[in-house]
Amino acid sequence: MAAWVKGGATDADAAVEAAATLLASAQNAVLAGLCAELSAVRAAYHLADAIGASVDPVAGPSLYAELGPLSRTGAMTTTPAEAVGRADAVLIVGNVPWDRPIVQDIAGAQATRGRAAGSERVILSLGGPRNGATRHVAYPAEAGGLAVSIAHLRAFLKGNLGGEAAYADLARRLSTAQYGVVLYDPAETGELGVEMLQGMIKDLNEVTRFFGLPLSDPFQGRALLQLAAWTTGQAPRVGFGRHVPEHDPWRFDSARQIAAGEADAALWLASLPAPRPDWLGTLPSVAIVGVGSPEAGGDVADVVFAVGVPGETAGGSLWDERRAAITYAPASGPTAELSAAGILTAIQDRIQQRLGQKKGAAC
Amino acid sequence: MLIRIHGGRVVDPTAGRDAVGEVWIENGRVVAVSDRAPDRTIDATGCVVMAGGVEVHSHIAGGNVVMSRLLLPELYASEAAPEGHPFAHAGGSAAWIGANYARMGYTLAVEPAMPPANALATQLELADIPLLDRGALTVMGNDDHLLQLLRAREGKAAVRDLVALSVATSRGLGVKCINAGGASAFKDGMLKLSLDDEIPVYGLSTRKIMGALLDAVEEIGVPHPLHVHCNNLGIPGADESFVDTLEAAEGRRIHFAHAQFYGYGVADPENPLTGGFRSAAERITEAMEAHPNATYDVGQVAFGQTVTISLDILRQFAGRKGANPKKWILTAGDAEGGGVVPFLYKPRGPVSSLQWAIGLELMLLSKEPERTILTTDHPNGGPFTDYPRIIHFLMDKEERDREIAGLHKVIAERSGLCAIEREYSFSEIAQLTRSGPAKLLGLADRGHLREGARADVAVYRDDPDRTAMFARAKLVLKDGETIVEDGEVVAWRSGRTLELAVESDKAMVARSETYLQDRFGTGLKSFAVPDEAFPKPDVFAEVACRT
Repeated sequence: MAAWVKGGATDADAAVEAAATLLASAQNAVLAGLCAELSAVRAAYHLADAIGASVDPVAGPSLYAELGPLSRTGAMTTTPAEAVGRADAVLIVGNVPWDRPIVQDIAGAQATRGRAAGSERVILSLGGPRNGATRHVAYPAEAGGLAVSIAHLRAFLKGNLGGEAAYADLARRLSTAQYGVVLYDPAETGELGVEMLQGMIKDLNEVTRFFGLPLSDPFQGRALLQLAAWTTGQAPRVGFGRHVPEHDPWRFDSARQIAAGEADAALWLASLPAPRPDWLGTLPSVAIVGVGSPEAGGDVADVVFAVGVPGETAGGSLWDERRAAITYAPASGPTAELSAAGILTAIQDRIQQRLGQKKGAAC
Repeated sequence: MLIRIHGGRVVDPTAGRDAVGEVWIENGRVVAVSDRAPDRTIDATGCVVMAGGVEVHSHIAGGNVVMSRLLLPELYASEAAPEGHPFAHAGGSAAWIGANYARMGYTLAVEPAMPPANALATQLELADIPLLDRGALTVMGNDDHLLQLLRAREGKAAVRDLVALSVATSRGLGVKCINAGGASAFKDGMLKLSLDDEIPVYGLSTRKIMGALLDAVEEIGVPHPLHVHCNNLGIPGADESFVDTLEAAEGRRIHFAHAQFYGYGVADPENPLTGGFRSAAERITEAMEAHPNATYDVGQVAFGQTVTISLDILRQFAGRKGANPKKWILTAGDAEGGGVVPFLYKPRGPVSSLQWAIGLELMLLSKEPERTILTTDHPNGGPFTDYPRIIHFLMDKEERDREIAGLHKVIAERSGLCAIEREYSFSEIAQLTRSGPAKLLGLADRGHLREGARADVAVYRDDPDRTAMFARAKLVLKDGETIVEDGEVVAWRSGRTLELAVESDKAMVARSETYLQDRFGTGLKSFAVPDEAFPKPDVFAEVACRT
């Protein structure tokens, strides 16, 4: 079964009708999650515009930890393949990166391209978990947390702090690298930490080459960020209440809007696994979720669609973390009956048909 | 449907037409004058009728364009649009780009910098630009695989096969090199690179890399010549790099991107780095006249805030010092990457004034507008929406003089613009914006109104205010269908993305698969641009290679 209305299994057409009714009657709907293939995300933006809704991806916290600093100061970054192939020094900030495959990729290889090729790769850790499985030099975080630690490290690099402190040693190692990389998780590092880190990287580039390598969020945020930018000219959290995309990361935070009672309907889009929000089902809701996922049943929302999972039961353009690029993932087996993009487009068409009928009646 | 456009001044320099006449259209093509009764008659009395405009160099899609929107979201204003395309009024969006080109009478635009590593995202973005046909140039010249082949002195065939495979995989329309070897050199610590400087690790030079790509493009039969962004963009003495590169082409077809940014002669030979620059427009014009194998687009400056976007990360890193506002992005990518640096062209500033003058001087000195394509290198010199204003300056000496009067006096001191009396004719404007770029791209059915041409037609009211005239076309037909009336989009349709029909060598496919697996842990499929990735069918249309 692929569609449910009020807990009861039904056909897709009836569910589309129910979803269109639910969304069309809302004053202020939110489209959240957007952990999906790009064609579905694209369809979600078009639907949001059609009904004057706002859009908020589940990847928002990670994305906005970087987007704020990016729009204030910019950034210097590189790709995973460049880090693996060129870096002779890699600084890993915080705990989160240690659980990602990129650390093993880096630790398991030497630089093979560029001027650092053949030299021994040094892995440095700032505020990490002291993971003994990977050989590295550990520098603990200071009491104030990662952002403060990065600020102090930057001060040593700039010569504003001196002495024989551990961070002075770390600063020396960074400034003598030929191709250095800082691996970090934006959400863990936080906005202030990312801004300070990027400032430090820019400082380092006055004497050598050094780049940031932010981890991708696991919810397709990097892919939808691109689509949001070319579709609306803005970052992802936008509202269409005035028929023009207005970017406001605080105002269009879906959890905040729902908690404040501002939103009166929601659509949750997650054809790929994503943590189910607490608010789902607490207001009139539509859920478009992957076939076989825990949410693919009648009880999570008023209207539920189980759609193809990109890379498994559907094809789709997705973020490839290792490539740091959008790539196409074909279905690995038989395709599902419904696609997320198809359902979203059908809902939009149904709503616009009604609007057209109303306009016709008014004439 | 048979359409007759009559009463207008038909301007088609490729047919020697510049007189009141008729254009007939049927099934999306220009046809001979007919004695049949037309299904639709368009009265173009008092109007100028031209082929649709063709853009060869405008940064309209790709990762760096995305980053520019995130770095400087305030650059474009968005307006409420209760009707029509949902995102056409979203400043800087793909739909906004399509709508604004179409309003000016343009019907094709090419993104000149598509890195193969990011091809799918670039192509998805291009496909979301409505109204226009599109295309993208595949960027090579800093990728390790190519440089390895050259370092190993593999033959021309290997380079040709790798270039062909890269174009085919990314579905590009042509090939571009951007400061060939410069990004690689930057990653290895260099901050300046000239034509014959050695690129660390590889022992190559820009001359060698570019020469190999020039040969490959010819051997494959790419209609568009190699599109070259030279070394040393934007610095005093850049004219040397331009002329040296022109000579290094050794008679092979070559297209230079944004020549204005190389029109900077050293002002004080005793202090070349600190003495500023003066116009080298005359020198570049003379060099171009001596090299009929070459073309260039201008990269005209328009005053105001913009954001510069380039895969020339060596240059963009140097340009960070001039960022305004003071923020910038630089990505060391899998080959080039990209730099995004905001910049303010100040109307009363000496540098910006001189840049503005040099671009116009280049166009006004050119005896062959078809080899001198109008661009602003959008958004690097300014937005493409400034084309009507630039055309006005070219066509109207008085308007030019009025503008100069408000600019810095350096224009009179360091350029020859003030002494130029020339005013462009409509035919020359059509060469600059239609027939020239279409020929350059090798698109025989565009840029003109002869029988068999694609029915991409722009009709403008003949208004002495050329800015107003060219900003809002009275009527624009795309493939014979009306898309713009009185400067507003009236029908939203999707165009096609042009891709070169090029076959890949099986041996090179196998070699590349091995290389990519080793470097990225994934193969060619990960770099592919499959039809299934697009929300609508029939996105692409093939362009044949030269025979």
